Amino acid sequence: MQNEKTIASAVAEQEDNRATAKISGEFVTIAAIFGLTFAMILASRAISPSFGSWSQVETILYLSSFLVFCAFGQGLVILVRGLDLSIASVITLGGVLTASLMNGSNEGFLYLVPAILGACIVVGLISGIGVAYFRVPPFIMTMAVGLIVYSLCLGFTRGTPRGYPAPLLSGFMQDKFLGVPAPVYLLLAFVVFGTILQSYSVFGRKLNAVGNNPLAAYIAGLPSGVLIVSAYAMSALCAGFTGMMLAGYANGATLRMGDSYLLPSIAAVVVGGSSILGGQGNFVGTVGGALLLTALATILTALGIEQGWKTIMEGGVILFALIALREQSFAFLREVLGKRG
Amino acid sequence: MKLTKTAKALALAALVGAGTQLASTDVASAKTADGKWLIYLSLSYSGNSWQSEAANIVKALAATPPFKDTVELVEVISGTDPQAQISDYESMIAKGADGIVSFPISSTALNRVVQRGCKEGVLFFMYDATVTEQCAYNISYITSGFGENTAQALVNALDGKGKIFLSRGVPGNSVDDRHTNGAMHIFNQYPGIDVVAEYYSYWDDRTTQQETAKALAAHPDVDGIWAQAGEYGAIQALLQANPNRLVPVTGENSNGFRLALANPDYQAIGLDGVSAGSPPAQSGFAFKIMMEILNGTREPLPEGQRNIEYPLPWVPGDAVKLCEGDKFENGCNTFPEGKVPSSFVTEVFNPELLPELSLASALEGKPTEGAEIQPLPADAVKAAPNEPGINCRQCEAPENLYHLTKVEPTVQP
Repeated sequence: MQNEKTIASAVAEQEDNRATAKISGEFVTIAAIFGLTFAMILASRAISPSFGSWSQVETILYLSSFLVFCAFGQGLVILVRGLDLSIASVITLGGVLTASLMNGSNEGFLYLVPAILGACIVVGLISGIGVAYFRVPPFIMTMAVGLIVYSLCLGFTRGTPRGYPAPLLSGFMQDKFLGVPAPVYLLLAFVVFGTILQSYSVFGRKLNAVGNNPLAAYIAGLPSGVLIVSAYAMSALCAGFTGMMLAGYANGATLRMGDSYLLPSIAAVVVGGSSILGGQGNFVGTVGGALLLTALATILTALGIEQGWKTIMEGGVILFALIALREQSFAFLREVLGKRG
Repeated sequence: MKLTKTAKALALAALVGAGTQLASTDVASAKTADGKWLIYLSLSYSGNSWQSEAANIVKALAATPPFKDTVELVEVISGTDPQAQISDYESMIAKGADGIVSFPISSTALNRVVQRGCKEGVLFFMYDATVTEQCAYNISYITSGFGENTAQALVNALDGKGKIFLSRGVPGNSVDDRHTNGAMHIFNQYPGIDVVAEYYSYWDDRTTQQETAKALAAHPDVDGIWAQAGEYGAIQALLQANPNRLVPVTGENSNGFRLALANPDYQAIGLDGVSAGSPPAQSGFAFKIMMEILNGTREPLPEGQRNIEYPLPWVPGDAVKLCEGDKFENGCNTFPEGKVPSSFVTEVFNPELLPELSLASALEGKPTEGAEIQPLPADAVKAAPNEPGINCRQCEAPENLYHLTKVEPTVQP
């Protein structure tokens, strides 16, 4: 009897192991990121009774939407083994063009939006062509393009960005639908769209292939140059869109409006489980990374501690998320616990 | 042939250099080839409304007669790194500058190069931010008590009790420290005032809006906000969180903020406050004092007494008055909506000190049609008190450093 039991439990254990093994590592990381974010929001109740409430979640979703938009583009570029340092400037470009061209009126809204986004795409095309065909390292290419775009914005505005976005746009950013801010719906739609594009579309699969092994992709007949250029163009499009939304949110543009998104956009992608070396990544993970970073910043702002400590804690949590929430860590944990059991 | 030409040019340059060295012993003399004063405008970074307005003012004045024919103005942007400004100062001195009007990036790092420039006969005029080197002139509102006065105004509006946010500037910046110390000097006297969140908004509207939104998520019941520049973002964040409730906000001089303070709809749902803070007009004032000294119509001040205070603008909601034209006339201090962006810093004009300017000067650096440079009034220059680490070294601050000048306490601690 005794023996039978152990054998049965051993069999059960084995089966169990197989079941967990079936869950992909990517899924584990993403679930852990969302779990950590959720836990942080719940734990923040200790800081303020208003925390942990729906309105805090709303604020986090709202503020993280800007980061999600630009991190999607950054994620595509990282996927093809690149890096886009120009997004801060392109966000500014999108914002400045939105404020100055719309100039506070709804007139021509329908053609101004594609025109502004089109201008941003041109910037991305230039970066992409430099990287794909002239073999300029992405770091240098996008930095240079970013500097040039920023200077153009500076010259165009003479240092003082003028004008206001169309009331349609700023109204949308203030609007609530069924008690939830309208941009939150936009965020959800964007996440669905982005996930399909990156993981389930032919285009996304091709980008994955180029990022995984450019040589193999080339031999397989994929137009890797065109694919790389299109990733940069998508990144610039997303950054321009972020700038447009930010201008609507703040009802105007500033020349520094993109600065606080450059490094967080990279961090969101990497924290979300994508490889900084390219070839592997999932947009849902990036969204989790963006939510984590925004929730963290929201909670830290409410803590009455010195700025230095806030920054240290921010860095600490990002490191923790990167190191601890990896599938390897979970595999390790499982192994240790399994041995003890 | 080519070589001898170069040699000749070099010799000539040496001669000219020697000549100017001699000449610089008495105040100064024009050093460009065409007999104009060579003046450098040295900026930190250009990228917000405040910095470009301050620079535009100097450019507009330099293009106004008679400066138009007597001044050659060269603009140099150094970014945010003190090292870059040090090397820019060095090359300005080497090129024979008569004067440098500058927004200094650091209050201490530039001291050595400034001192060297002074010995070469270069006049240094710092605006808004300051240096602690005694031979430079500091023209700044920083000693005029922005922090303590606005803090007291907020305490008065809150009747001495309530939860407040502090929306600060740039971490580690001496100006931000001075403002916050002044404010905390007041807030600490009132046990009923509870600072529930303190965040850095980098003197930027959009950053202020996002940081305030984050703080509001934790404290939707906040009773007031003490803000530095970027204050209009705080109002937008409040409205975003709850369109039917505003609270008293004190801040700096953005046009959007002043319009909001005067808006009866906003007042009805709780907005109250005062607009004070850093005026871009300081740059023009600094430039005019410098030119008067160069032209010999004003005596240079002795070293150690070169800190000049620019008066603190002070516009409570009921004092907001819309301008009809492009200048500050008839006591107006705000532009109608749509005329300038909401982040435009209104304090670009000063009818007494800078009557030459108009809106085109501040926005585009253009001179006002028909304007001529007017001499500064006799009582224009007011000495600033010592503030260690801000405008002097090894000096002592007066005991009444944080005394109130613009507002009286209406509630006792």
